[in-house]
Amino acid sequence: MFNVPAPDAFAVFGVSRTLDLDEQELEMHYLKLSRECHPDHNRAQTTDDCAAVLQRSAEINDAWNILRDPWRRARALLEAESAGVLERNKKLDPMFLMAALELAEEVAFAESDRQAALTDKLQAAIDSDFTALQKDVNNGDFDAAAKRVHQSHYHLKALHDLEAKS
Amino acid sequence: MAYSDKVLDHYQNPRNVGSLDKDADNVGTGVVGAPECGDVMKLQIKVSDEGQIIDAKFKTYGCGSAIASSSLATEWLKGTSIDAAAEIKNTQIVKELSLPPVKIHCSVLAEDAIKAAINDWRRKNGKLAKEEANS
Repeated sequence: MFNVPAPDAFAVFGVSRTLDLDEQELEMHYLKLSRECHPDHNRAQTTDDCAAVLQRSAEINDAWNILRDPWRRARALLEAESAGVLERNKKLDPMFLMAALELAEEVAFAESDRQAALTDKLQAAIDSDFTALQKDVNNGDFDAAAKRVHQSHYHLKALHDLEAKS
Repeated sequence: MAYSDKVLDHYQNPRNVGSLDKDADNVGTGVVGAPECGDVMKLQIKVSDEGQIIDAKFKTYGCGSAIASSSLATEWLKGTSIDAAAEIKNTQIVKELSLPPVKIHCSVLAEDAIKAAINDWRRKNGKLAKEEANS
């Protein structure tokens, strides 16, 4: 198996490396790039050309799936800015982890009448994670940003678990 | 992926689930997480004046292997000495539970939790070496 590092999603799309991408513009851009690679619009002359177009097409699809999701976009941005930054910042504050454990318990034992309020609470936590993440990225503090991404994973997972209950 | 019978047993009948008073001087608490999977593990020990672990409790939010690893850890911790507890290695947990390679990080988490709990108890009781105090 070849261990080729995944190409930088921002570079594949040719957009600037920022968290604040306009999602509508991004989708238009995706459609345009896809069209360019479509076999109907792109008569490859040789087998080599054909393989290259296919490769490009796969890269565009992968990049699209990363960029359209704010959290995956954040991971890609951090790795592109500072390789290994997510791995280096996996140790989270015990106080945060304790709160995450309590949150997970709250979700596990939530009665149905409590689910709407809890969903709002988790969504608010995720939104505030993202705001804090944007601030860290804008300040160029990628270590702090990586910790935010890890923390948000606990909130996203709790929300996912809550949704799976109903 | 098939879990071993021992993992299933601990998962279905976890030992020593619960909490000890984290503010008590004779209790050490360790909370560790694996952010990639969103797992979190809390492990607590209660230590006698003689340095024996007289009780151990855990709470784990995570996969079956993480739950089994921490459940097994509390079984091993109860009745052992602090010094012996500090020697517990994740590889022993892997062997006992027959964890597959993709689940080894769960046993690492359990070892980290044991060490964090011991350090917390040592910190409270002034038994921590200086270089460890900052970690």
